[in-house]
Amino acid sequence: MDFALNDEQRMLRDTARDLFTRECPIDFVRRAWADPACGVSLWERHLSSWLELAASDLVDVVLFLEQHGRAVAPGPFFASLLAAQLATAAGLEVRGSASVAVAGPDGLWSPHDDAIKQFVASAADVEDILIVGGSSRAPHLARVKRDEVVLTRVEQMDELRPQYRVDTRGVARGEALDPRAWRHAVERALVGCSAELIGVGRWLLDGSVAYAKERVQFDRPIGSFQGLQWMLVDAALDLERAAAAVAYAAMCVDADDPDRHRAVHGAKALAGLAARRCARTGMQVHGGIGYTWEHGLHYWLRRAYAGDAFMGPAAHHHDQLAELLFVGA
Amino acid sequence: MKLEFSAADEAFRSDLIAFIEAHCPRAAYATGDFIGTDISDATGVIAIPEWARAWQAALFDHGWMIPGYPPTCGGRNATPTQTLIHLEELARRGIPRSVHFVGYAIAGPSLLEFGSESQRALAPAAIRGDTVWCAGMSEPGAGSDLAGLSTRALDCGDHFRVDGQKVWTSYAMLASKCLCYVRTDPAAPKHKGISALIIDMDSPGIEVRPLRHVTGQAEFAEVYFDDVRVPRENLVGRLNDGWRITLGALAHERGGLWVEGVAGCQRAIDDIVALVGRSGRSRDPVIRRRVAEFHAEVRGLRALGYKGFASFAQGSSAPEHSFMKLASSELHRQLIEFAMDLQGGALAVTDPAVAESAGRWQSSFYTGLAATIGGGTSEIQRNVIAQRVLGLPRSQ
Repeated sequence: MDFALNDEQRMLRDTARDLFTRECPIDFVRRAWADPACGVSLWERHLSSWLELAASDLVDVVLFLEQHGRAVAPGPFFASLLAAQLATAAGLEVRGSASVAVAGPDGLWSPHDDAIKQFVASAADVEDILIVGGSSRAPHLARVKRDEVVLTRVEQMDELRPQYRVDTRGVARGEALDPRAWRHAVERALVGCSAELIGVGRWLLDGSVAYAKERVQFDRPIGSFQGLQWMLVDAALDLERAAAAVAYAAMCVDADDPDRHRAVHGAKALAGLAARRCARTGMQVHGGIGYTWEHGLHYWLRRAYAGDAFMGPAAHHHDQLAELLFVGA
Repeated sequence: MKLEFSAADEAFRSDLIAFIEAHCPRAAYATGDFIGTDISDATGVIAIPEWARAWQAALFDHGWMIPGYPPTCGGRNATPTQTLIHLEELARRGIPRSVHFVGYAIAGPSLLEFGSESQRALAPAAIRGDTVWCAGMSEPGAGSDLAGLSTRALDCGDHFRVDGQKVWTSYAMLASKCLCYVRTDPAAPKHKGISALIIDMDSPGIEVRPLRHVTGQAEFAEVYFDDVRVPRENLVGRLNDGWRITLGALAHERGGLWVEGVAGCQRAIDDIVALVGRSGRSRDPVIRRRVAEFHAEVRGLRALGYKGFASFAQGSSAPEHSFMKLASSELHRQLIEFAMDLQGGALAVTDPAVAESAGRWQSSFYTGLAATIGGGTSEIQRNVIAQRVLGLPRSQ
């Protein structure tokens, strides 16, 4: 097992970091909150070509999405990448922006035949909706244009990536989808979500450490106080451990390793909890300034909590992992 | 990033497994905690069992003791990755290389790195276990603040005269030699007045008093030095340059020191899954969820160890490794307490005849208490990480 990045992987990570630093600074994020057109323009001008990652090793997807999360990037790229991975697994051509409509009221990606699909990310900003119905054992997939379904926006914490209830009544039942292909797409999506959460946590932790070095109270930097140091150390440990687990899960999926199912659920749970911890710790370290709208820390806090919930929160993935640990029990 | 090991590394692994299967005594399996040995006399003083001596010598003679070393020092010039495989294959089976770690893990490597030619000649016997060593480090007034040690060595030209006291000195009652840290310049700043001496434990003026610990065993001791004469040629490295030696030991394994901690957590979670199944509570949703959470944490920690190792093997610093001692000792303690809680009202029962797993969880609980203290407390680890990894200012 080797976590060292090769030259291409290092270049991919650096290219992604430079892209988001240049095109998605915090002022852009502030504008995007008020104006969804910003997210669409980021997609059209800079991110749509990166959809080809859907056919790459998952390790590459992880490197890119970490930087995406670090920038708390708005717009339909994230949903489109997950949809493109599903299209690729299903043997369909990847066309453009899209979002997967599968979840029920519990938010889980467990196919069901209810025509109402919930938690569909960025649905108003994409061209296609990939509707998955049936069951996990016998899923089916229909790809339709956005205007063939009815969208209702459901307000949630992270409005940089709005979510919708999608009414698919009137759409014909889709083509049968190989359950292994579905499972593979779900695992790639879960690792992708986890990677984004690592990036979110990374921004929160780095920013909080930097602030703790600058902010002076009682005539010394607050980062010299042991109570605050230990909070940051514990958050950093959770984040580093989760980041390693996400990279491991990606390698397992790429290698079709028997440990991949356990690794994927573990990674999503660890990443969600770590991002949330970095958010809480970051807010506490920043104190009053972090609580203001203007500062912007809240964008990352929102993405941390919404990202943990997306495709099921940590507790759900613990339960899924338990199913694998107590097999036959 | 890739999951698989090279063919050469897998061949190394196969050779090692074949050696273990051919030579490892049954008694060595799952000795478990890697601290000391289960064998002790009525007063709790530990002994080195014969199988442990034979096993350590066999490892040395076949080049499996410290694979990164050359054959003369118990190795086979293995690569860092192979060293990691070696540590993991042994730890996975709960097999210790030695029941007394000071000789092969501290004294031998320190002498090889910092010693004179005649001192380096002592290293093979230390690593093979033929000579039992202790390390004179902690003192009553110098625990976490090790550099505050005050055992004094007076420079008398061709010899030193040592006065003072060491404590928590592992294996002192069994050891024939001590790698001892002493203050040679009381006027210098505390890190700059320390030297390292090799002290023969049968020197006149040394008194060893075994010190029982929480488990009831006496694996460490208090060591008193009363005007002990130490020849000058026993000075290791330069005078007043001893602090460097405390930091320098075991360069070959520095990338893999986390392995045993993670393996202990892995064995604990595997045993917990089995215990939950045996006790008929594997459908309890609260217990299932908690076990899975622990499992994810253990596996994440293992991945973090490997990630740090990748940086280490490439020659960069590995901040990940700073987290490993803190994280694995704290997680292990939580796992043990969880397993005890699963035993309900019997959590404090230690009678081997009736306790769950013959009371092994309860004895692991005691050794787990030592793991978050010895080798740098969890609090010291957090301070070090805050300052060296996160770059936060020193606390005042």
